[in-house]
Amino acid sequence: MAENPAIKKGTVTPISSLFPAEEAHKASKRVQDTIAERQEQLDQLKGFMNENTNLINLVHKLPDELHHDIMVPFGKAAFFPGRLIHTNEFMVLLGVDHYVERTSKQTIDILKRRGKGLENQLESLKAVMQDLKAEASFFDAKASEAVDGLVEIREDYVEESPPEVLPLTNNTKDAIEDEEYTHILSRIAELEQQEEEAEKANEFNKDEQIENDLGCSTSQSFTGQEVRSSKVEAANLQSLSKDGPSRGKGPALNDSSLNNKALELAEVKEKVQAPVLATADHKVSRPSSIPGSDSSKAFTGSIVEHAHDIGINSTEQQTGARSSKPVSRFKMQRK
Amino acid sequence: MGSTAALKELQRDLENKANDLSKLQKDIAKNHQVRKKYTIQLGENELALKELDLLNEDANVYKLIGPVLVKQDLAEANANVRKRIEYISAELKRLDATLQDLEEKQNSKKEAIFKVQQRIQSLQAGKGKA
Repeated sequence: MAENPAIKKGTVTPISSLFPAEEAHKASKRVQDTIAERQEQLDQLKGFMNENTNLINLVHKLPDELHHDIMVPFGKAAFFPGRLIHTNEFMVLLGVDHYVERTSKQTIDILKRRGKGLENQLESLKAVMQDLKAEASFFDAKASEAVDGLVEIREDYVEESPPEVLPLTNNTKDAIEDEEYTHILSRIAELEQQEEEAEKANEFNKDEQIENDLGCSTSQSFTGQEVRSSKVEAANLQSLSKDGPSRGKGPALNDSSLNNKALELAEVKEKVQAPVLATADHKVSRPSSIPGSDSSKAFTGSIVEHAHDIGINSTEQQTGARSSKPVSRFKMQRK
Repeated sequence: MGSTAALKELQRDLENKANDLSKLQKDIAKNHQVRKKYTIQLGENELALKELDLLNEDANVYKLIGPVLVKQDLAEANANVRKRIEYISAELKRLDATLQDLEEKQNSKKEAIFKVQQRIQSLQAGKGKA
C-alpha cells in the first residue's frame, strides 16, 4: 500500500501483527486485575479515613459533659449500664505498643496528623490507578483495532528538496512558479550576454561580490525554481568547480537543500561559471575567454549582480528595468 | 542403548534442577513477604517516634507488655523506639542481601536448566536421525 513509489517508500503493518488481538486482551485483563486490587486498597483507605473523622468528632464531643451514662459491653452478648468519667483523658496508641495520656484536644491533633498521612497514601494510590486505567484503555483500543483488521502505515518522510528535482518536475508545481521559471530561463539567456561584460569588470567586482553576499542576504529570496534551474547547471559543474574556497562553498551549499540567499547566490555564481568553465552539455555553455583567471577568482561580481537582479525581478515580477551594466546597477542599489 | 541411558540421566538431572529452581523461587517469595512486613513495621515505628517527639516532658507514656500497661519514662520510650527502628533497618538490609543472593542463584539455575534442555534436544535429534 505504498503510495508514490517513485518518491516515497512505505511499510504496511497490520496492527494485529504488532498487537495480536488475544495478547492485547490478556494484557488488558491483567491490567484490569491490578486495577481491581488497587481499587480495593483505595476503598480500604477511604474506610480508614471515615473512621478517623468519626473518631475526631467523638473525641471532640466527649469532654462536653463531666460524665456520660452509657451501656458498657460485657462479654460477647451483654451490656450493663455504666458511667464514662474523666471525659477529658484519653490513652492514645502511638504505634509500637506505646500509649500516651492525652487530653481531648491533643488527641484530636494526633488524629488529624494521622488523617493527613492517610490522605497522602490515598493520593498516591489514585495516581497509580490513573496510570493503570490509561494502560487498560490503551490495550483495549489496540485489541479492538487488531480485531477490526486495521493497518498501520508508515511512510518515510522525504524532504522536499527543490534543488534536487529536475526542471521537468516544475510541471507539478504551481502555475505561478512555472511562470517564474520561464522568467528565469529568459534571464539566463541575458546573463550569458552579461558574462562577457563581466569578464572585463572581473577584479573590480570581485571585491563587491563579497559584500554583496552579505548585503543580498537581506534582499528578497529566490524561489525554488531559480535555485533549481541554477542547480541543473551547478550540478554539472560541481565536479569541475572544486577549486577555490569560495567556489568550493558553492558546490557544498548546492548539495544541501538549504534555500538561503548565500546558497542561491553561490548557485547563481555556479550557473554563470558554467560558461566560464566551458562544459559542453548544459544550457549556459559558452566559450570562456579567461577560464583560468575566473576560476581563481571563483566568481565575478557580475554574477552576484545577476543574482541580485534576479532576486529583485522575482519579487517585482520582472518589472525592474534591466541594464546591461550589472555593476552600475548594483552600485545604484547599494546607494 | 547408551544414548538412552544418557538421555534418562539428563532428564533426571533436569528434574533435579527444576526442583531446585522452584525451591529458590519459594524462598524469594518468602523473602518478599518478610520484607513487606518489616517495611510496614518500620513505617509504624517512625510514626510513633514522631508523635513521641511532640510530647511534653511530663506526659505519661505507657508501654503495653502483655495485658499490662506499664508506665514508662518519655526518654526511655524514645530510646526504645529508636532502637527498634535501627534493628528493623538492619534486618531489612540483611534481607536485601539475601534476596540478591537468591536471585543470582535463580538465574544461574535457569541457565543450567536451559543447557541441559538443549543437550536433551540435541540427543533426541541425534537419536531420531539414527
